[in-house]
Amino acid sequence: MPTLEVRALNKRYRNGTLANDNLSLTLEAGEVYGLLGPNGAGKTTLVRQVLGLLRPTSGCIEVNGHDVVADPGYARRSISFLPQAQFTMDSLHLDEFILGIARLRGLDRAAAARRTENLLERLELAEFRQTQMMAASGGIRRMAGFAAAIVGDCRLLVLDEPTNDVDPRRRQLLWDMIDELGRDGATVLLVTHNLAEAERVIDRFAIIDQGRILREGSPAALRSVVTDRLRLELTTTAPVDPHPVLEAEGGDVYLFDEDDLAAVSEWLALLRGDGSLVDFRIGPPTLDDIYAAVATGRGRTLEPVA
Amino acid sequence: MKYLTQLIELTKLTLLSSRQGVVFVVMIQVVLTVGLVLGYGYLIPDISQTAALYVTTGAATNAIVTTSLVMLPQMLAEAKHQGRMDFMLTLPISREVYLLSQVVSTIILAAPGTILAVAFGAWHYDISLDISPWVPVVVVLGIASLAGVGVTVVMLSNHFQVTNAITQLVIFYVVFFAPILLPKEQLPELLQAVSTVMPPTYAADAMRASLTDLPGTELYRDLAILTGFAGASLALSAASIRRRG
Repeated sequence: MPTLEVRALNKRYRNGTLANDNLSLTLEAGEVYGLLGPNGAGKTTLVRQVLGLLRPTSGCIEVNGHDVVADPGYARRSISFLPQAQFTMDSLHLDEFILGIARLRGLDRAAAARRTENLLERLELAEFRQTQMMAASGGIRRMAGFAAAIVGDCRLLVLDEPTNDVDPRRRQLLWDMIDELGRDGATVLLVTHNLAEAERVIDRFAIIDQGRILREGSPAALRSVVTDRLRLELTTTAPVDPHPVLEAEGGDVYLFDEDDLAAVSEWLALLRGDGSLVDFRIGPPTLDDIYAAVATGRGRTLEPVA
Repeated sequence: MKYLTQLIELTKLTLLSSRQGVVFVVMIQVVLTVGLVLGYGYLIPDISQTAALYVTTGAATNAIVTTSLVMLPQMLAEAKHQGRMDFMLTLPISREVYLLSQVVSTIILAAPGTILAVAFGAWHYDISLDISPWVPVVVVLGIASLAGVGVTVVMLSNHFQVTNAITQLVIFYVVFFAPILLPKEQLPELLQAVSTVMPPTYAADAMRASLTDLPGTELYRDLAILTGFAGASLALSAASIRRRG
């Protein structure tokens, strides 16, 4: 039985916006599932429905085979959530916050205190234990929120942009913890834009746009979707006009069709000849490229999943 | 027991999270209620004992109304606006207990101002009070009977500032057009009729009945009516917070 199953989910808001359009996905136990998409793609709407905060217009959401549309209380008992919003609990100290949430998640006093201490240590938050949440940096508050999300014994986690505002060192800790949770059998629905880092913990992911899943699969499978494309990273002494076959991806990164490799190579040779080329690298597109192609509406190799 | 633990933990979290502002909130409440007692004294130069009793007990009722219709909605609106409410509502706790914890927290924050208003009024106007053990019940029922309106405003409004504007408007009309600080008979007939179906009327009556020996008050009748209003209000609150859009 899947841990989370969403079938033919539709959500139309009162203003007529169709935020989720016949959306289906399945998360198996122990799976870390990434949900990617541009702003307004329908990710938050999906998450809010899974959590029982929003009622679907139609469709089915089951957690461990239990209909959580009919019984949102089951979702609350089964899912731990880290919201995207950078909320603060004002004067509450970090350790009080994690401890309090542990108690509300049903841990007894001693277990809650033990678990809080453990998480403060593991997430390198011990030095901030007495810091008031409103005085803590955004990254530290985010880590405290993450600690509060995993302090209980929930086997299904919904993490919405867990690495926002977090420094590189703690991001590493966070990804390690998510990876460990997955290996321990917890199921994670991960909403993130940080693809480069998330890739190593994600088992499968879906690219969602306009409320529909455009593509779903493992990172390797999704890369194969754009096998006919190549990625060029370019370093030049001064800005150059790109070759017409190159599609700018931002900065000095371009995508082009494999068939145009010869033309691009000739162009690079010309740049080298006039001394403007410092370095270049040609390789397969990254997950960021695939995502960017969708986010900018240039995902011409991506068609909605049937 | 499970719900009691949830209530205690949630109330603790709420109060601890507002500890930095507690002194400020209490001071505002005190200054507001004391100001009301003093201000009405200036409006009525030769104030009678009865009028002084109305002003003093009315100030206490006003603190209850302010708690339910201003403090509670604003606290909830802030939680909703910041995303804190969404997070709390995804925890394995009763939504009603979450609401109750917010009500209890506001009662605790409002209590000093209410008590001081009565004590200051009694001292300032040299009136003797006849304090009944029912006063805490009146305070709780008074707040509970109005909380539903505040909660519903928060849950239905899309913006923090809309909630603030509505609560300010409601409190203005309740203070000036309900028989809280003045006898019902002094209001126009229409407002008298309207006041018979408004909880603040009975909260004010019950407050007068439990703090004074003014004739014409019926504590048990008021408590019974307030209990009815409180039940309806809590049902309305529960329906509002269970609403899933």
